[in-house]
Amino acid sequence: MDETSKGIPAFAAETDSSGGNGNVRGAMSETEQLDTATLPLRERRKKPRISETPPLPPPPPKLEDYERIIGKPQLDELRYLAEALHGKTVKMVNSTAVGGGVAEMLNRLVPLMEELQINTHWDVITGGNDFFEITKGFHNALHGGSYDLSRQIQEVFLATNEQNRQRMKFEEDVVVIHDPQPAPLIASKKDHQAKWVWRCHIDLSNPHPDVWGFLRPMVDQYDAAIFSSPAFARQLSVPQYLFYPCIDPLSEKNKELEESYVQKVCDDFGIDRSRPIVTQISRFDRLKDPVGVVHAYKMARNYVDCQLVLAGGGASDDPEGAVVLKEVMEAAGDDPDIIILNLPPWSALEINALQRASTLVVQKSLKEGFGLTVTEALWKAKPTIAGAVGGIPTQVIHKLTGVLVHSVEGCAYQIRYLLTHPEFAKKLGENGREHVKENLLMTTNVRRWAVLFRILLGLS
Amino acid sequence: MSTVATADLFSRAAPSPFHFNSSASLLRIERERAANLGEFLEALRSCPEESIFQHTIQTLQEHHYIREGFSNDFAHWAYTDCNEAGLAERLASLDVRAFTSISSLREQIVRIVEEYIRLNPASRDRNALKPFYFCSSQSVIIPTPFVAHSLGEFIEELKKVSVHSIHHHFIEARLRLKLVSNDFSMWLEKEIGLPKVAARLNRIDIYTLTLEDVRQQLIRILRSATA
Repeated sequence: MDETSKGIPAFAAETDSSGGNGNVRGAMSETEQLDTATLPLRERRKKPRISETPPLPPPPPKLEDYERIIGKPQLDELRYLAEALHGKTVKMVNSTAVGGGVAEMLNRLVPLMEELQINTHWDVITGGNDFFEITKGFHNALHGGSYDLSRQIQEVFLATNEQNRQRMKFEEDVVVIHDPQPAPLIASKKDHQAKWVWRCHIDLSNPHPDVWGFLRPMVDQYDAAIFSSPAFARQLSVPQYLFYPCIDPLSEKNKELEESYVQKVCDDFGIDRSRPIVTQISRFDRLKDPVGVVHAYKMARNYVDCQLVLAGGGASDDPEGAVVLKEVMEAAGDDPDIIILNLPPWSALEINALQRASTLVVQKSLKEGFGLTVTEALWKAKPTIAGAVGGIPTQVIHKLTGVLVHSVEGCAYQIRYLLTHPEFAKKLGENGREHVKENLLMTTNVRRWAVLFRILLGLS
Repeated sequence: MSTVATADLFSRAAPSPFHFNSSASLLRIERERAANLGEFLEALRSCPEESIFQHTIQTLQEHHYIREGFSNDFAHWAYTDCNEAGLAERLASLDVRAFTSISSLREQIVRIVEEYIRLNPASRDRNALKPFYFCSSQSVIIPTPFVAHSLGEFIEELKKVSVHSIHHHFIEARLRLKLVSNDFSMWLEKEIGLPKVAARLNRIDIYTLTLEDVRQQLIRILRSATA
C-alpha cells in the first residue's frame, strides 16, 4: 500500500517527502498490519502499526490505588491532613470540561478531593465562538504575542462572564478560578464569604501590557494566586503560591505496563530492543528542536551504537508541524536507525511504552513551559537529557536527577557519556523517579490544595 | 545490659508519651529575586525568615532522596547558574543543625556571600544563567494517630510514620526548640533516660542520607543501643 493513500487518517498520513530513507510513519488497516507482523524489524519501520481509533477511557483511580505508588504512610498522612477540611466546600471553575491539561487535571483532582471528604464541585463557563476567540487571543497575548484590545473585545469578554456569573452560585467555602477566561467571576466575591483563588496555568512572565493591564485589577481582588513557576508570576498585591504541574502515575501515559506490551509496541514500530534506544517525545515543533536532536544523535553515533526515536503529534492539525516534520525527515536522511513517529492524540499507551523501552530520554527544548514529558520520563526512572529552559531545571537537577544541556554538542556528549556509563545513568534515573514521587505527582498536588485550603480558612 | 533490663527498657512506660506529628508546607513566591550575586546579597538581607527556612531546611525534605551533592538551594544556584564553585562549596558546607535560629543562619549565609564578593568583586554584577527566585515556606501541622508510650512502641511507630513526620521531628524541630537537638533525642533523654543514645541520634548525617535512610539509622541505633 502506498503510504500516502487517502485511506489513511489525516493524523497519520505523513510521508517521507525527502524521498530518501523510507522511514515514513503512516498508519495501516488491520489486514495490512497482520501482513506486516512477520516482516523483519527494519522493514516494519517503514510501516509501523499505529492505532486508528481512540480506546475507551479507563475509570478514574481511587485514592487507595495510590497506596502502592506513594506508600501507606504518605497516603494516610494525606487523609490526616484533610480531616480538618471534612465538610468544607470547594468550587473549581474553568472554561472546558474536556480536552486540555486543566480539564485533564480536574478530572482526576475532583474525585480525589471528594474521597477526602472535601465537597468539591466543578463548574464550566459557557460562551459563544466570539468569546472563545477572544480568550484564545488573550492566551497568546499573555504569552507575549501582539494583540489589539478593543473596547468591543472587552465588552464581549465581560458580558459573557457576567452571564455565567448570574447563572452560577458561589456558596462554597473556597472558589478556585482556573486561568484568565473566568477571571471576572471575582465580581461575586463581595456577595459571599468564600475565599477566592486564581490558579494561573500559563506563563505570565512577558504578557501583553494592555491585556494584562485589563485583567490585573480582577486578579488583585482574589485572596491568593497560584503559578506553576516563580518565573511565570507577576508582582501582585495578593499572596502568590507555587504549585508545580503534576502527572498522574495511574494514567494511561504513566501507569506500569506489561513487558509484553512494551515489546509489542517496539515490534509494531520496528524498534530493536537489543540495541540502545534514545527517544524524544514531543510535538513536531521547532521549539522542541527535533532537528537538533537528530544532529546530536548523528554526532554521538560516531562513538556509540544507538537508535533514535522521535515520536509525537501535531504534524497533521498544525501546518507548521508538517513543515517541521519534513525538516526532521530531511535531517534524518537515509539513516535506518532514526525512527520518526507521527502519532495520533490517543497514543498515551504507546508513548508510555516507548518511554519505558528507552535507554535514554531526550527533551532538547529551546523554550518550554513546565515540560511534563520530562516529568513522565523521570517517573519511569529514565536517564534524561534536557534543555535548561522553562520549568525543566526544576525537574532535572544537573547530574543528580538528569543532565541539562545548552547545545547540540552538549546533547551529543551526554548521549555518549550516559550510554557508556550505565551505572551513573541508572542513578540519575532512580533519583529522577524519587524527585517526581516527592514533588510532581497528582497526590502531591492534592496535598498542596489541602494545605492551601487550610491556610485560607484559618485551619492551619 | 541484661536481657531482663533490655526488655524492661523496651516496655517501661515513659512519664510522657511521644506524639508523632507531621507537617505539610506550601511554597509562597516572594518578591525578592536576584539576577547576580550583588542582588542575591541584598535579597538575603531583606527576605523573610521563612525564605531562609525554605531554601535551607525545607528544601532538604523536597530533595531528601538524594544522597550525594545536594545541600541547599543557595549553594545549588551558586554552582549551576552562577558558575561560582568556590562560593557554592562554602554555602554547601553550611549544616543547618549547627544553628538554633534562622537569624543566626541568615547572618552566616550573608557573611559567606559578602566575603566571597569582597575577594571576587567581578562576580558581583555578573549575570547568572537564570535568576534566583526567593520563595518561603508556609506550613500546617498534621496530627497523626501514632503515639509511643515506651521505647518499644517508639521503634514500632517510627516504622509507620511518613518521611515528612521524620523531617518534622528530626530536622525542623531544631528551630522550634531553639536547641542543637531534635524532638526524638529530647524525648529519649528526658522521658526514657538515654542521653547517650539521644546524642548518637543527633549525630546522624542528614546530608548524606535520604530520609528513609535516616529512619533506618534511627531504628538501628535504638535497637543496638538497647541490645
